[in-house]
Amino acid sequence: MPERIARALSFRNISALYIFVVMFIVFSIWVPDTFLQWNTWKALFDSQAVTAILAIGLVISITAGAFDLAIGTELGFGAIVVAWFLVDKGVGLVPAIVFTLLAGGLVGLVNGLLVTKAKIDSFIATLGMSSVLLAAIAWVSSSQQILGVGSSFEDLGTAEIFGLTLPVFLMLAVGLVVWYVLEKTALGRRVYATGGNIEAARLAGVRVSAVIIGSLVSCGVIAVFAGMLETASIGSGDPTVGPSYLLPAFSAAFLGSTQFRGGRFNVWGTIVAVYVLATGVKGLQLAGAPIWIPNLFNGAALLLAVGLAKYEATATRAGAIRRLLRFDRNRPDGGRSAAEGAS
Amino acid sequence: MGRQRLTQQNQPLLSVRGLSKTFPGLKALDDVSLEVGSGEIIALVGQNGSGKSTLVKVLAGVHQPDPGAEIALGESGDGEGQAGLHFIHQDLGLVGTLSTIENFDLGRSLGRSALMPAPVRAEAKRAQELVAGFGAEIDVRAPVEKLSAAERAIVAIARALDGWEHPRNVLVLDEPTASLHGEEVDKLFVAVRRVAERGAGVIFISHRLDEVIELADRVVCLRDGKLIADVPRGGYDHDDLVELIAGEALTAAEEVAPRAPGKPVLRARGIRAPTIAELDLELHEGEILGVSGVLGSGREEVAATLFGAGLGEVDELEIDGVATRALDPRRAIAAGVAYVPGDRHREGAVMKMTARENMTLPRLRGLRRFGGRLDGRAERQEVDGWIDRVAVRPAEPERALELFSGGNQQKVVLAKWLRNEPKALLMDEPTQGVDVGAKAGIFELIAHAAAAGAGVLVCSSDAKELALICDRVLVMRDGYVVGEMSKSNLSEAGLVRAGLGGGVASKNGGARVDQKPETEPEGVQNNA
Repeated sequence: MPERIARALSFRNISALYIFVVMFIVFSIWVPDTFLQWNTWKALFDSQAVTAILAIGLVISITAGAFDLAIGTELGFGAIVVAWFLVDKGVGLVPAIVFTLLAGGLVGLVNGLLVTKAKIDSFIATLGMSSVLLAAIAWVSSSQQILGVGSSFEDLGTAEIFGLTLPVFLMLAVGLVVWYVLEKTALGRRVYATGGNIEAARLAGVRVSAVIIGSLVSCGVIAVFAGMLETASIGSGDPTVGPSYLLPAFSAAFLGSTQFRGGRFNVWGTIVAVYVLATGVKGLQLAGAPIWIPNLFNGAALLLAVGLAKYEATATRAGAIRRLLRFDRNRPDGGRSAAEGAS
Repeated sequence: MGRQRLTQQNQPLLSVRGLSKTFPGLKALDDVSLEVGSGEIIALVGQNGSGKSTLVKVLAGVHQPDPGAEIALGESGDGEGQAGLHFIHQDLGLVGTLSTIENFDLGRSLGRSALMPAPVRAEAKRAQELVAGFGAEIDVRAPVEKLSAAERAIVAIARALDGWEHPRNVLVLDEPTASLHGEEVDKLFVAVRRVAERGAGVIFISHRLDEVIELADRVVCLRDGKLIADVPRGGYDHDDLVELIAGEALTAAEEVAPRAPGKPVLRARGIRAPTIAELDLELHEGEILGVSGVLGSGREEVAATLFGAGLGEVDELEIDGVATRALDPRRAIAAGVAYVPGDRHREGAVMKMTARENMTLPRLRGLRRFGGRLDGRAERQEVDGWIDRVAVRPAEPERALELFSGGNQQKVVLAKWLRNEPKALLMDEPTQGVDVGAKAGIFELIAHAAAAGAGVLVCSSDAKELALICDRVLVMRDGYVVGEMSKSNLSEAGLVRAGLGGGVASKNGGARVDQKPETEPEGVQNNA
């Protein structure tokens, strides 16, 4: 099926990969001494694993049609709460992790209830929650770093397998699970349907409230998980880490939606997007770009990705309409082959 | 034709000559000529699909007419410039959260004063005067969503007139009374008459004939795209109008031996909804039951209410002989009820998902394997079968539904429900936005479903299609069933007649309940 392969390899389908290749070549020529070092790439993989996990969590909620703007502070909340349990409360390693995950789930549950029961728009509900969590973080930590989380916990973020740290593999594991659920199961189909048209999904018998609550809970759990890994890799609970993760996660999820699955939010596209964005930022930094480059790059990428997706949708629709019209004008025979050839 | 009220210097404000509009496979308008004079109120009547809305859309510039048509706007005669055309659609186009004053202000170009403080007091005074000019007492500072439906309509009319530099324009009102009741209609009519008195021409589209008789100076009737009558006031009575709209051609009803009615698959008592006063309904195995009625008659809410998808409620419900609580969509599906909504884009399907995903959405259980995994191969196989059976073109299950034509989208929606083998299939406007070719295919699918033992409920504004496919049709008017016709006396004209009803019946609350089945379509109304 050469047509199918051509479509799979088309720029439209995997533009991020082509952009990656171009960036790779440009930076290899521009800053070969630093850009082509293994250590550069190892650092890139390790440092972006947390962002990627967070973006995967975000994919779940956006797929269900709920925008979780609290996802950055949920990460920060997880980062501080796990340190608080470990250090201030002296809880053991496993219970501390479990409690933190539960706390993340609880935050997601409140988000979900605000959206489905109180009927507050997800933007507003999670924006409010985000501020509440900032307050909780400051309260728990007294706005101080929580030091001394213990070496066994730090191992979670720093232990290496095949030259890469554990979070990279944990990210792949989370990605695999989320991908399986969203794309291979009946549940995932219902999540996509809810996000695609909540009214039609409801009338098809989908429990849309449960889907939205469930997706925000999973999103919260994954976000605090990412936060714990952040704490583990820097070795202390930092009350300031959360909010800066929001934009990269959104950029990656939206840019990822333009990859592989023709406009649908998806896990692998999102992971690729995280690393392509990070490669661009890294390359520019190595080339001596100023400190504000990451913000500019992520923001521009988000705008470009969403703009492209909109443009693509109208272009496909316009194309389909044109084909239909051609179909009408010609005799059925000629029209049909034209329609099929063009699709 | 009617220029009876136009004096010599009083040339028409709008004159249409030889207007035709052809869509692929359909002549929506055929050589229509029409004039609107100053001070005239013209009622445009005709049943669903007669070309009324096409005419309005051509006038509004949404559709290009076929070449050869002449549409001219008259000079106002007093050197005040050309007459204008203003449209007020059913939704009125007001911003609900803004007050009357602010709504008036929206259309005005601000120019240099854009950043100046708004002259609030002066504006309020002017708005009050404008509205008072239509005989309405309205709190111009309240958000318009807090006003009654009639008051909102008056605000919309006042706003249209506010922008006029001279009164001699043409105002087109598209079904302004569909959501109003008795008293409110009267209020609106006072306003419409004032508009005409000031020298404007009014084109008024309505399904309610008693209103037409009360208000119009002239009635223009369309049927199958042709203008078949243009009669001045007094030249018609209620029966004449029904005759004009429905047409003479009583197509001889096919002599089909009435199928032995099977056992009831759905029995409902006390269906109530915002537009349904009271309705009982019994749907039998293998039966195609139609619900007919004009916009606002309650017909639109029957299917949704039974499925538990609307705002209404049901007192007693029995499905397949088992009494159940009132439904919600999940329970309805589990009980063997399926619902094809009228608004495909908003409710019927997830347009961004593929045809395959849409088809299997209501019942994924049979495709679930270990660990919740969907059996992709089984799903594709099953969907290929359905695509074949309902003849979706192009036969591409992996294409996003939004990229199919309306007719093929509807076939996918139908297949998605037929796949559940429903006991009761509820449909709202099953052929809305469906091309002629696909229509026949959809009728065939409905017939097959009934033959397979499902009870099918078809709610439609299209009397022609109901007459064609139904075994029995309930006719609704003002929230009640006012007639029932079975196959032997079922005809398009009869349905239209019954739906339009008598002048008195639709205005007096008490007199409308008429549960007695109509045996003779001609005998439905007799009170002109």
